[in-house]
Amino acid sequence: MVGFYTVLLFIFTGAFLVSFTVALSRFFAPTKQYPEKLIPYECGDLPQGDAWIQFNNRFYIVALIFLIFDVEVMFLFPWAVVFNDMGLLAFVEMFIFIVVLLVGYAYVWVKGDLDWIKPKPRLEHLAKGKGE
Amino acid sequence: MSNLNSIQYFIPELFLTAAILVLIIVDLVLKDRKGHIIAYLTAASAIIAGILAYQQFNLPAASLFQGMIVVDSFAIFFKILAAFSTAIIVFISLDSFGDKAEYNILLLIVTLGMFLMPAVNDILMIIIAMEIVGLMSYVLAGFHKKDLKSTEAALKYMIYGAASTGIMAFGFSLIYGLTGHTNLYDIQTALVNGHANPVAMFVAFMMILGGLGYKIAMVPFHFWVPDVYEGAPTPVTAFLSVGPKAAGFALFIRFLVTVIAHPTYGSFGSFTQNVQIQAPLLLAVLAVLTMTLGNFSALNQKNIKRMLGYSAIAHVGYMVMALVVLNNDAFGAVMFYMIVYLFMNFGAFWVVESFASKLGGEEIENYKGLGYRDPFTAVSMAIFMFSLTGLPPFAGFIGKVYLFSAVIKQGWYILALIGVLNSVVSLFYYLSVVKSMFLRQEDENVPIQSSLYHKVLVVIFVVPTLLLGVYWQPIINFTTHSIGIFFGK
Repeated sequence: MVGFYTVLLFIFTGAFLVSFTVALSRFFAPTKQYPEKLIPYECGDLPQGDAWIQFNNRFYIVALIFLIFDVEVMFLFPWAVVFNDMGLLAFVEMFIFIVVLLVGYAYVWVKGDLDWIKPKPRLEHLAKGKGE
Repeated sequence: MSNLNSIQYFIPELFLTAAILVLIIVDLVLKDRKGHIIAYLTAASAIIAGILAYQQFNLPAASLFQGMIVVDSFAIFFKILAAFSTAIIVFISLDSFGDKAEYNILLLIVTLGMFLMPAVNDILMIIIAMEIVGLMSYVLAGFHKKDLKSTEAALKYMIYGAASTGIMAFGFSLIYGLTGHTNLYDIQTALVNGHANPVAMFVAFMMILGGLGYKIAMVPFHFWVPDVYEGAPTPVTAFLSVGPKAAGFALFIRFLVTVIAHPTYGSFGSFTQNVQIQAPLLLAVLAVLTMTLGNFSALNQKNIKRMLGYSAIAHVGYMVMALVVLNNDAFGAVMFYMIVYLFMNFGAFWVVESFASKLGGEEIENYKGLGYRDPFTAVSMAIFMFSLTGLPPFAGFIGKVYLFSAVIKQGWYILALIGVLNSVVSLFYYLSVVKSMFLRQEDENVPIQSSLYHKVLVVIFVVPTLLLGVYWQPIINFTTHSIGIFFGK
């Protein structure tokens, strides 16, 4: 438990330093408020439109698919390292693992989530009215 | 047991995994021509997995995969319960989601999680099993994509769930730091032999209580229940209130028995406390809070799903009473109560689900005059409500008798008294549904035609609710045989 006193000391020092410097800059810094300061910074240009826009959720889907196969690679590397020692069993295990992932890949493919340009948006099931 | 030898005891789970993969492929191959095939296959797979689990019932208990999970009669009981509830839910949701392959496959994945949850024997497996169930439940709760309430339910469920899992994982990390083990049995041995810091142990226990309490919807971790139960599609609500909750109770009991309590006379006997945590007293307070808050919040509800959600919290309170005494009587009582609760709760939700469109809503007000419009359904609904209250001729009464007697035998008189008083309070809101159905009429009572399918399912739920109220011995024998909790690595 004794070792944790340094941690406590560290927390207190950190909290003190942060609040001290922030208070210091508030105290000394010149404050000049004018409206342009409140505009979001957009590379020096005048900002156009709202920052809260909807963007295509296919970005998320592609990111998710990427994540799945990224994790697969992460598991493949340690497997490859010990492969020689474990022999056939390791091969079968990894084969099953990849087959399971392949089913997911097939699912994504058949459901059309890999086509970036979708042929026809099917909108007839959407209720008309609110938000349109 | 080594990994290769374990596989022969892991057949139900392997079968479920294979079934999930096959169903995904079937869905992809059939595309739009599938109809209800996937739903039937899902129910069949769940039932076969349950039968496969039952075949292991008489095998000697053992631990698998180098102590990661165990197979014992206690786990098998909850596996069968999980498989059965999934199969029923598939039929309850046949009308609304029968043609949605993803829905049914997600249900099957939850079943796989529920097969693992009662069998865990390692901290890591607890998190994995709970997350399999949790993540799929979040998706299921938001399955009505265009419905704002459903989406809100899924989002709330997920954010609260992620937070509670995080807290629980923190608690596990503290336990690992204190004992140096991840295996539950090793942790117990380390706690008995070593001198863990009581304060740190208490903090860890409270954190784990947060995660497990969230899963079973125990106060003060119940806040997600009303919104999720109201917003989620009705079959999903019914499923969440029984399936994952039963698995959560199994996990909770196993954790308490293996880590917190210490068996004095082998695995059959009374339990003494392991560490200096006032776990029984703490759980008793939480049980009282849970049932009282659930019952009193349910009093004013206008929406029947929300009312059933709060009543589900109250029922969790009754079942947590069993965790207070933590002996074999109490485990048997919880198991029996789970079976009874499955039938009466599914029955009530099935009536809500199949009559929502016919009555024009899910408010209690909509049930006005149902006793004259469709007497069969109304009487069945009244039976479910009486049984949920715990009135004598019905199964709910027997369930409560076993629970309360287990509590009283150990001398927790005040706890049992509060439980009984709470049952009286619950009578009010359950009866308000009955009152709405029978004592109030519309100007003209248009009879409602219900399909044969609806009637058959209602009968399937009503018959056990009535039968277990008068003849429950076989079920009690079964639950008594199922209390074999494996201790070991």
